[in-house]
Amino acid sequence: MVMIHRILIVDDSPVARKMLKSCVPKDREYEIQEAGNGVEGVEKYKEFSPDITFLDLTMPVMDGYKTIPEIRKINPEAIIIVITADIQPKSIAEVISLGAFTLLKKPARKESIQDAIEQAELKINNTVKQI
Amino acid sequence: MNPDKSLFSEEQKDILQEIMNIAFGNATADLADVIDVYVELSVPDIELLGAGELPGYIVKNLQTYSQTVIINQRFLGDFKGSGFFVFPNGAGHDLAAILEDSNPQCCEAIPAVSLEKEIIMEIGNILIGACVGKISELLNTSVIYSPPQAIYEKSVEFNRFLKSFDPANTVIAMKTVFRFQQKDIKGFILVITDYESIEWLKDALDKFMESYQ
Amino acid sequence: MICTQIFEMINMGIVVLDKELMVTKWNRWMETHSEIRAEQIIGHSIFEFYPQLKTKWFNRSCKSVLKFGNFSFFSQKLHKYVFPFKSVYSACTNFDTMQQSVTMGPLRDENKQIQYLYIMVQDVTEVAAYEQKLLEMNIRDPLTGVLNRRFMFCRLKEEIERFKRYGRSFSVIIQDIDFFKSINDTYGHICGDFVLKKFAQLNMERLRSIDLYTRYGGEEFCCILPETDLQSAQKLAENLRRIIEEYVFVFETSELRISMSQGVAEVTPDMTTAEELLKCADECLYQAKKNGRNKIVAKSCQREKLLPGQQNRGKI
Repeated sequence: MVMIHRILIVDDSPVARKMLKSCVPKDREYEIQEAGNGVEGVEKYKEFSPDITFLDLTMPVMDGYKTIPEIRKINPEAIIIVITADIQPKSIAEVISLGAFTLLKKPARKESIQDAIEQAELKINNTVKQI
Repeated sequence: MNPDKSLFSEEQKDILQEIMNIAFGNATADLADVIDVYVELSVPDIELLGAGELPGYIVKNLQTYSQTVIINQRFLGDFKGSGFFVFPNGAGHDLAAILEDSNPQCCEAIPAVSLEKEIIMEIGNILIGACVGKISELLNTSVIYSPPQAIYEKSVEFNRFLKSFDPANTVIAMKTVFRFQQKDIKGFILVITDYESIEWLKDALDKFMESYQ
Repeated sequence: MICTQIFEMINMGIVVLDKELMVTKWNRWMETHSEIRAEQIIGHSIFEFYPQLKTKWFNRSCKSVLKFGNFSFFSQKLHKYVFPFKSVYSACTNFDTMQQSVTMGPLRDENKQIQYLYIMVQDVTEVAAYEQKLLEMNIRDPLTGVLNRRFMFCRLKEEIERFKRYGRSFSVIIQDIDFFKSINDTYGHICGDFVLKKFAQLNMERLRSIDLYTRYGGEEFCCILPETDLQSAQKLAENLRRIIEEYVFVFETSELRISMSQGVAEVTPDMTTAEELLKCADECLYQAKKNGRNKIVAKSCQREKLLPGQQNRGKI
């Protein structure tokens, strides 16, 4: 079974990144890298090849909506979890159609982050099985 | 009078910014459900000001609009301050149309101007309540509100209201621009915390981050 | 124990609804005014008993209270009332239903989570009646009861705005009672007052409900006629002229007859203020007096387009 080890957090707020990091379960060693905007996020994605990426939507330089397709160009199977304060049916539809795995509501909570990671692991393993 | 900007550490400022982002984002999402109309709230702009600078700050922000009505609502509790909903005068008619209101008792006897004012007050009350409510929720507190009041720019009440701030105090002004997409009606909301709340706020911000250690 | 008594004895309505808007509390004030007992309504949806509350604004307010902990304020001015009750003040006011000021707010549990909302209802019928009376006094002429000069200017301004926006024409008639001073001199001021009152009444009876009749000056009155062009206004002025001319005023033992002069004018696209329109009508009135009184003069004051160097000599 493939386990998730590498997590990339892309958010312009250092506080938001800190909050998210603290919600990541402590049961195993995760390697976590951060980026402050979409462009940095794409760069980091290339070098770091994370298993999952947490992505904010409202960022300067390049926002979340534009970052999703850029990351998927690098890896079409990329698992991107959007985490944002303003959750509306239309934003959910939009990010999913762009290729995001799921959408979480800020403020980050331990249970939802944990659930999302587990779901992502399941998906990766199903994909791996198919191959 | 220079505001005491050392009141907040860099980290506390960052926490406040993120809390405001979350609060206004959550408020936008919930508002769509409450008023059944999509209203966009911009990422908030936070400034620490001496209360003496407030009148200038408010007037500067009003300059974008040719004429405005201001809805003022006080909130009280550990978190204390005033919410201002600034709305372009004359857009009340469009707002009423968006809300598709059908209140059978009212309307006939009331002049259009009064009706628009009352609708602006009601929406102002809801928007201020959404922003202040979400901030309170994140900071684990609750507030009570005084009834909203409408003030017209350039009126006697407006001047009196500008003079009511004690210049010795520092306040936090948080501004978001709102936009009713359907009719492209824009205005802004200001949440201004009273000086007495600042100590409590610093504490609340620290407590908030503690739960994320 | 004490709180429960206060809850029941307080002179305002208190209703508590849960998140599904089912009634959980209904105090004695509500029972008395609704004639619905608490046992009847508790456990039921508020809309079962008050289906008229199923409106967007009520829904909005409940949602904002339950979601944000907001306080909603329903002013009497906009909503008049929320619950259709009779007021104890109904007899001496114009209102058949109780006028209410209503507030709504959240009720939380030990974990600070919002579980209920409260609705508080206050009877403000007396205050509303008082306010209405003040408003009326502000816009009416105390002697004749017609609308006063202040209101006239306000209204003319509105009509001109409406004309500019929608192009709907309107006209004014300025009336001046002929030789009114001599009535006061001959029969006394009390008779003069009587004549003014009766004069106003006679004119008002003849006007349509959309027309406005205002007192412009001592013995001058102004009719504001929406949706009326110059020709129709002139016809109306002629009718009024005849009515006044033929009427016999009876004051104590005296019988007297009067006449009036009238100036009629229609708003024109170049007019931007009430004063311009009144000036036109005034010029017509002046001409009517000059022409021998008991006359009507109506004309268009549309300014001719000037060529450079030309002076506007006006057309009288």
